[in-house]
Amino acid sequence: MNLREETKEIQELLGEYCRTGEELELPGITPGRIQHYRRLVWNAVKDTLDTAFPITLAALGEDSWELLVSDFFATGLPQTPQVWKLPFEFYHYHANQETGKRLQLNYLDDLLLFEWMEIEVHTMPDRPFPDYVEKGNLFLDKLAFNPEHEIVQLEYPIHTHPVSQASGMKGDYFALLYRLPESGNVKFLALSALNTYILTRLMEANVPLNEIKGEFARIAGIESGRYLDDALEKFLSDLMERKLILGFQGQTATT
Amino acid sequence: MEGKVGLGLRRDIAEEILESRTLTPDFLEFAPENWMGMGGAWKRVMDRAVEKFPITCHGLSLSLGSPEELDWKFIRELKGFLDENQVKIFSEHLSYTKSNNAHLYDLLPIPFRKDAVDHVVERIRKVQDMLERPLAIENVSYYTPVAAEMSEIEFVNQIVEGADCQLLLDVNNVYVNAFNHQYDAQEYISALPLDRVAYIHMAGHEQVEPDLIIDTHGQPIIDPVYELFEWTIAQMDPVPVLLERDYNFEDTDQIQSELLQIRALIKKHWRVEHESA
Repeated sequence: MNLREETKEIQELLGEYCRTGEELELPGITPGRIQHYRRLVWNAVKDTLDTAFPITLAALGEDSWELLVSDFFATGLPQTPQVWKLPFEFYHYHANQETGKRLQLNYLDDLLLFEWMEIEVHTMPDRPFPDYVEKGNLFLDKLAFNPEHEIVQLEYPIHTHPVSQASGMKGDYFALLYRLPESGNVKFLALSALNTYILTRLMEANVPLNEIKGEFARIAGIESGRYLDDALEKFLSDLMERKLILGFQGQTATT
Repeated sequence: MEGKVGLGLRRDIAEEILESRTLTPDFLEFAPENWMGMGGAWKRVMDRAVEKFPITCHGLSLSLGSPEELDWKFIRELKGFLDENQVKIFSEHLSYTKSNNAHLYDLLPIPFRKDAVDHVVERIRKVQDMLERPLAIENVSYYTPVAAEMSEIEFVNQIVEGADCQLLLDVNNVYVNAFNHQYDAQEYISALPLDRVAYIHMAGHEQVEPDLIIDTHGQPIIDPVYELFEWTIAQMDPVPVLLERDYNFEDTDQIQSELLQIRALIKKHWRVEHESA
């Protein structure tokens, strides 16, 4: 390292001032100018987080929100060189600090996670799509799933209810977020625990529905018959309409 | 690329550029940090841009002047991105954006000191080696010197010479710094090694106080900056010129008129053909 300790300290002091906004004395500066750096740095971070978390901002109000941003930026040590990934670090910081618990905002972690996941699914690297055909049989053919999706588990239904209501509804909730192949837009779908299980099992097992639907009947505690078939067909047809199921992996004897 | 006029690829105007509607640059510039590792709709926009235009890249987060260690993982990823997109010129700022193990997402001024020169020179050399391409470093705008022990021009020149790197001459930044720190912009440019200039940036700025201009990239270029640009290019051989615009995209006709004005000045001084002029 060629830097003198004094130069290093001066640089670090300016960096710390930009993160915390706390007054500092630096040698050889033009009076009244240094605060522009704090303003520019703060605006870059705050604008990024305001844009990433509009629902959280609205739920908390500007003053409380600003405290969260300020706390994160002063002590959270942002590590990503890519500012658009900063919201993920913001979510992690407040989850680790248990900020929601401390401020009695029990839904905070879920809301930050959900808003981040919308960005994550929109921007995540492209995943290889399976080959598929559009015509087939939901029960006899292997399904071809849109690989660009994520399922998140939430404690509060912030994706389906205003936070004022959701905060009183602790439970197990699931949301499927997926990217539409053509537009790249992100959609989400609230899933029951059973449907989440069915969906993840079908994806993992990569077998026709008929081969494992008995397992679903046992878990749901119902007979494997017409009622189950109707429910599965309705669920999977809905996923096809939404483009989460693209089609069928290959032709089998479906005629 | 010499004498061509480019525009920064921003999401707000991406379709306008890619569909060749109002905006007709010769090449595009990306900030790699804003596009690296991205898939989906924005990846498709980037792919279309790369297919249609020559590309330059202007980095934001290398933090060449930082007391921190260089981020080698990031630099490796950056190399992959530059290679994959056949980037013609890669530039970075002569500033720092990370300290105390925290990224700051804006450009802080490095103290103009000999030890900082040696530090930055070593880092630029390492980065150039790793990227296997020359680095053009940009003279940044600054609003106050910090603990300076030499002048800005001495600082810049010693780094360019020591690192044997290229220079990105930001003409607007020279104008802004000359105004803010009361020196002569032409004298400053005359003292630069113009044969090392690989690339020029032009931009608008905002005067926020009677004696202070902030480099915003959000306003139209003002006449004195065009005049300084014309004076500058008369002193040197052709290089690519980029119009930076980061905000206020509503009036694309006005942005196009800036591209045309830069082209007209280039035509006066450099022998260059513009396909889309």
